Amino acid sequence: MRSRSLRRPETLVPLSSVAIMVVAFALIPAYTDSAIAPFDVYNTFQIFARLGLLALALGLTMIAGEFDLSVVGTYALGGMLAVQTGQEHWVYGLLAALAAGAVIGLVQGGVIAGLKLPSMPVTLATYITLLGLTSALSGGLTKTYSNASVTLWVDQTVLTFFSPRSLLTLGLFLLAAVVLSFTRWGRELRAIGGDRRASQVAGVRVDRLIVGTFMLSGMLSALGGSLLSFSLGSANPDPGVQPLIVAAAAALLGGLSLAGGRGNALGLLGGIMAVALLAEIVTVAALPGYVTQLFFAGLLGVIVVIDAPDLHRALVRQRTRLRPEGNPTSMLSRKRELS
Amino acid sequence: MSPGEDLVRVDRLVKSFGNTRAVRAASFSVAAGEIHALCGHNGAGKSTVVKMLSGQEAPDDGAILIGDQVVDLRSRRVAQRNGVALVDQELSVVPSLTVAENLMLGDLRARWINRPRAAGRRLRTLLDSVGLAHVELDRPLGELGIGERQLIEIARALGQDARLVILDEPTATLSDVESAYVYEAIRNVAATGCAVLFVSHRLGEVLDLCDKVTVMRDGAVVATTPVAELTLDSLIVQMLGEAPLRLGRRTAADVEGAEVLTVSGLSVPGRVRDFSIALRAGRVYALAGQLGSGASDVLRAIAGLLPSASAELTVDGTAVRLGHPAGAIRAGIAFVSNDRKAEGLFLRRPVSWNLLATRLPQVTRLGVLDPRRWSEALAVLLDLCGLDRKRTTHAVGSLSGGNQQKVFVGRCLGRDDVRVLLLDDPTRGVDVGGRAAIHALLRDATDRGMAVLFSSTELEELGDLADVVVTMHQGEVVRRHEGDTADTVLLREMTHGASTALVEERP
Amino acid sequence: MNNLLSAPARPEASVPEPARRRSRTEVVVTVIVVLAVLAAIVAGLSTHRFATIANAKAIITSASLVGIAALGLTLITIGGSAVSLAISPSVAAVGMIFLSAQSLGLVPALVLALACGILITGLQGAVVGYAAANPVLLTIATSFAIAGLATGISGGETVSPTGTGYDRLNATPGGVALSVYALVVLALILEWTLRRTAFGRTLYLIGENRRAAWAAGLPVGRTTAVAWFAAGALFAVTAAFTAAFNTSANVNLGGTLTFDAIAAVLAGGTPISGGRGSALRTLAGAVLIAAVSDILLLRGYSTGVQIMVKGLIVLLVVILVHLRAKGRNA
Repeated sequence: MRSRSLRRPETLVPLSSVAIMVVAFALIPAYTDSAIAPFDVYNTFQIFARLGLLALALGLTMIAGEFDLSVVGTYALGGMLAVQTGQEHWVYGLLAALAAGAVIGLVQGGVIAGLKLPSMPVTLATYITLLGLTSALSGGLTKTYSNASVTLWVDQTVLTFFSPRSLLTLGLFLLAAVVLSFTRWGRELRAIGGDRRASQVAGVRVDRLIVGTFMLSGMLSALGGSLLSFSLGSANPDPGVQPLIVAAAAALLGGLSLAGGRGNALGLLGGIMAVALLAEIVTVAALPGYVTQLFFAGLLGVIVVIDAPDLHRALVRQRTRLRPEGNPTSMLSRKRELS
Repeated sequence: MSPGEDLVRVDRLVKSFGNTRAVRAASFSVAAGEIHALCGHNGAGKSTVVKMLSGQEAPDDGAILIGDQVVDLRSRRVAQRNGVALVDQELSVVPSLTVAENLMLGDLRARWINRPRAAGRRLRTLLDSVGLAHVELDRPLGELGIGERQLIEIARALGQDARLVILDEPTATLSDVESAYVYEAIRNVAATGCAVLFVSHRLGEVLDLCDKVTVMRDGAVVATTPVAELTLDSLIVQMLGEAPLRLGRRTAADVEGAEVLTVSGLSVPGRVRDFSIALRAGRVYALAGQLGSGASDVLRAIAGLLPSASAELTVDGTAVRLGHPAGAIRAGIAFVSNDRKAEGLFLRRPVSWNLLATRLPQVTRLGVLDPRRWSEALAVLLDLCGLDRKRTTHAVGSLSGGNQQKVFVGRCLGRDDVRVLLLDDPTRGVDVGGRAAIHALLRDATDRGMAVLFSSTELEELGDLADVVVTMHQGEVVRRHEGDTADTVLLREMTHGASTALVEERP
Repeated sequence: MNNLLSAPARPEASVPEPARRRSRTEVVVTVIVVLAVLAAIVAGLSTHRFATIANAKAIITSASLVGIAALGLTLITIGGSAVSLAISPSVAAVGMIFLSAQSLGLVPALVLALACGILITGLQGAVVGYAAANPVLLTIATSFAIAGLATGISGGETVSPTGTGYDRLNATPGGVALSVYALVVLALILEWTLRRTAFGRTLYLIGENRRAAWAAGLPVGRTTAVAWFAAGALFAVTAAFTAAFNTSANVNLGGTLTFDAIAAVLAGGTPISGGRGSALRTLAGAVLIAAVSDILLLRGYSTGVQIMVKGLIVLLVVILVHLRAKGRNA
């Protein structure tokens, strides 16, 4: 039973990627001149906090069988709103960002579920719109956040390895894991990603779930963006494509599938931790930025190719061909069993 | 509600799709505690009645009454609130969820928070009752076989404490042992005062299990009869509506050509076991088998669409590798899928594009379309399949089902390089006129020296068209029939397999 | 994955014979399109300095650079591979190669640029065509990889031309930029290819229904790969013109080209799910997007607003195209 559950891709993929990265991380002294300091672990969690909520937002829509490209747009907008409306008090900024994320999700989910539109073109258009909106809000400039106490607070060291920001992100992951595994909502979310028609026949209210998922995804991305802005003390109108690449790679490494339905929040946590460890290793090894880029691009590229359906078909075909011809005696005995 | 009272009443339900009247004023009622069978041959309207009762289609006219209340079943959810549970004709469970999660999916009583311990005992009992004592609740459904998945969907419906449980062909993919468990579970549910509507092609089980049988034909209810007054033969008479001992009106081909296609040892894991056949030029062969019999899988495997299929395949003596549709087509095997929308036609494209889609090399010169060759080839094909020339610019999706199918079949004809034509349920969703036209097309194809192999469940079609009928049941060949065979024999073998065939061997 | 790019299959009991009557959705869609075009015209005419010959030239020149790339993307979209998100970095990388090869002369540099463009985009196309990898995610990854490689090789520096041959691309015969002629000629060639060749037909069929095309034995992998090859060549042409125009190239040469090209293709009415669209429509879409950007620029709106409006246009067109297709089927 145990070995069987380990062989499932949603467990195997994140587990092995985390294992590889932990080993690579532990071997840092072997290929650099620096030893591992507690700060390296802290920093890994900071990288995790930076991208974790984005990966979670994207991951939830992927589990539901959709794909929300707009998460990076909401992430940028959330960060900008948090800075611009939160100068007086961080709560206003956070609330504005969350509200914007919810509205964006509501509109997107409503269009996708109501008009039965595919999610990719809709979220692509929203992504472009939001990048423009964020840039328009800031005049295309990086905005600084003057409330330094908040900046200090979110990144202060807690328990040697953590910060309030990484703990909050970690907490949300655990909450998501619990919700996905142990609530009706989580079950139905995975069901509509696995087989939408079957879920509809079974009585799941598919449209509502889709709208809810997109709202949640918007709010999580906006929260991620706000936390990043608080931490950096500034908001950048164009985060580039790196966050999306890293989030997608983390989601796929976390055992999620583009086909939907597969995966869970703990696997996703594993995926994003693997990516964070890789980022930290690259930082410690002081590799140039473009090498990091190539690393992540290669990682995502390989995963996308492995996930490709026609490749699977070719593999099944090869396996069938290589398998020794089914021997007739076993066929006969199976026949007897059945009759 | 005490047993014996009418719990569910269907009152003059009407439903049309386009110009086809699928159900015309169907009425019947099911009592509490009664297991009520709904029988009828394909296209009789059973599935449409089920869809209306389960909240998936709205009736055009008529009413559904549950416990004397007229109900408006707008969606599956509303139907469930009114106490209607459903086992859909298509397998409707989610492979990526666990067994327990599938059992709880859509259940109205499910709480926001799962309580596995509390629910576990109930779900365990439910699983045991359908003979799945060996299946753990936390196993992903994807690791189970098709039969076990079907049993889980049945268990889900039976466990919802519904007032009406509808089972639409629940046993089509089950073995006899598995079916026996299902019968027992259905009896137990009925004993609690629940009404059961049981749709099945397997007439033997209908007679054994059910209390009453409503037979439908051409969208109307023929009769509702207590099962004690029925025999297998009288039930078949009701379903077919004419003398059941009618012999096929087949005109045997004069010439028997050389072997065109040979298949030996074809296996598809979980679907088909060790299937072999040899097709001769100029003849029409049929695979007769219900859903789950493997007939469709045999055709798909030969056409190269199933990567997990293995077999020895030759066309005109040359070996062909399985698994590539393009390879199969090069070898001269053309395939007409039963899902012409997803796997056949390009619906938004005009008739001309669709007819010539696979023939682009023949109508181009150096890769550039040659208008003269294009219109010549098009004219030949249009004549061949009897389509109106004015229609060539219409999008195929705007044609009737019959004309769509003509385009699909026509695409595979009129070329010399096609040696074998495979058709999966070629007249599904096609009206009577279109059906005759397609039959004529197939006859024409064999006259040109092709071999035709099609799958069907339609007795009339099997009788009229096929020179050789091979019956299939649960992934295996039951028997091969050459010459005239009574419809009753075919129907028995398709619905029962070989073990219960009551007729003497034919020479 | 199927429900991400294509609309979910809906159970259709039967399709009625063609009804020539227009459905209500179709009327609504038409009305919205007419209103939007009118609004754009009014906004244009009421904008100071919009309706001048100099401004018209500016619009078509800026449309030409985006347009050539958008023509390439049209091939990708029609073939059912949605979009490539790697246009900007590809153009930047090829532009850098083009300028640094100027010492070889203009023609060899162009040939080299074309070869590199075909290689970069064609490789991705082969993976999408033969393995059915998700094109959007794959191109996100490659965009990052190309940018990384370009940074690594150039050391993050701006590349300056090693010769002066490139300047011939900045010629303005008849007062109109050479790139405009190139756009028109390429659009006509592409339109002809799509309409009149076996490749074009096959591409439309694959884009409309990949599974049916596969089952019918059409060369799905090869045709898709060829479409991406051609797209790569068109991106290379864009790169040459853009690099020549800027007289230098760095990794940011592509700018917002990816989004502009997507906006042009979708605004031309090509559905992202594939199987439809034409080169001439993309041409119109490119001009529309350029004109809208121009109006916003003349009215003093920031780059952010321009991008936002492009995004909203794309969203609106995606919804309208979808509704119209649905209205036709209903």
